[in-house]
Amino acid sequence: MKICMLTWEFPPRIVGGIARHCEGLARALAHSGHEVHVFTLDFPGAPDYEEIEGVKIYRTVTELGHPNFLTWALLFNHFLEKKLGYVCQQVEFDALHVHDWLTAPAGISFKYRAKKPMILTVHSTEIGRAQGLHNPDSFAIDGMEWWATYEASKIIVTSGSMKGEISDHFHLPGDKIKIIPNAIDLTRCNTSIDRESVRRRYGVGSNEKLVLCVGRLVPQKGVEHLIRAVPTISWRHPEAKFLIVGEGWLKGHLEYLARSSGHGWKIRFTGFLPDSEVVALMTSADVLVIPSIYEPFGIVALEGMAAGVPVVASQVGGLAEVVEHDRTGILVYSRNPESIAWGVDRVLSDPGHSRWLTENSRETIQKTYSWDGIAKKTVKVYKEVL
Amino acid sequence: MSEEVPEEFRLLCMLHNIGATKMERSLSIKEICEWTALETSSVELHLRRLVELGYVQPIEAEGAGKYHLTPNGIRKVLTLYS
Repeated sequence: MKICMLTWEFPPRIVGGIARHCEGLARALAHSGHEVHVFTLDFPGAPDYEEIEGVKIYRTVTELGHPNFLTWALLFNHFLEKKLGYVCQQVEFDALHVHDWLTAPAGISFKYRAKKPMILTVHSTEIGRAQGLHNPDSFAIDGMEWWATYEASKIIVTSGSMKGEISDHFHLPGDKIKIIPNAIDLTRCNTSIDRESVRRRYGVGSNEKLVLCVGRLVPQKGVEHLIRAVPTISWRHPEAKFLIVGEGWLKGHLEYLARSSGHGWKIRFTGFLPDSEVVALMTSADVLVIPSIYEPFGIVALEGMAAGVPVVASQVGGLAEVVEHDRTGILVYSRNPESIAWGVDRVLSDPGHSRWLTENSRETIQKTYSWDGIAKKTVKVYKEVL
Repeated sequence: MSEEVPEEFRLLCMLHNIGATKMERSLSIKEICEWTALETSSVELHLRRLVELGYVQPIEAEGAGKYHLTPNGIRKVLTLYS
């Protein structure tokens, strides 16, 4: 099958989970014999075209700009469409797979031009990300998301909670939506890592506990609730140190909160780190905390489980489906520092139980979250609409 | 965009959306003011902060200072929309 995939992020342009999802899926589809063409946006240092593990990647440059984000998004869709038009003179695609609303305008035009069905993966929604629709841009994005779900022949979501959210909000028939979870490439987690040396790099001694948090520094990730939990965690575990990995517009505010907590010296913000370093940190940490208040899936939970670190996650959205409480991790109440502190204490106070959690979670990952399995399910959806 | 987003971050987003994402598409302060309709003093202030934070790279071109986003600056902007 010849598959055309549209996504606004693809490595090295990594922002959230979409880039990792598209990369994993594209590679697995190519690995199983399909011809995969990914159309995405440019990034400094990345070539306009390259082929990696059988995946053909086209990066388009947005030649025109505008300060307004929505106008810019429509402009980059025009350039994506231009590139698509060029490539489809040589390749007749069988399936068109669009990821999120950001590339939907180009996808919808291409759907009518190529007369091929469009499959849409909804990774998150504006109403969920912004916790409501608060301004004209939000309303416009919400409208574009609805439009993309309307134009799609089938919609893929990564969790049951996301299916519920979009079927309620966009009034979609249940049978139009398929749940296919995210997955994880376990080979990336099998590297032999010198745990002590990684911890030393970040100022964490062998007698200290490393509490790790990885995510974009935006409100939906709930990092402020972890910071508010630091005094309680520190009271029970004075040897705990906290590492917050990621970038985002909320960083300044979170740094201020950390300084104001009275425990600022224990909390370190690393900024963006490459995947290999994130894996090294996950493998070296004593606990991974995911304090999100909105999480359609939470691929970071899979990454932590695969790296063998005990996971403490908010009981929201997809996280509550990925993590099984007290079997593959610990679920805590979202927006609740006391509950987060309880979860971290549960892991740090009982190393035997923590080991049991990580053994269970690794087994679950191997059984349920392999890219090959997810690619097979995705191809089944493609075939349903062809 | 949320009301809580800091002013310098709004400028960073505008620079990104205009297309100042690589050296050859760097913009001068005059050009940035024209694109964004912001006051020169405000643009200068925010750019200074963005350079300090490593999100914007200043360069010398055609005898004047020009500015473009670094890869971290691009990632920072994209966190808002993803």
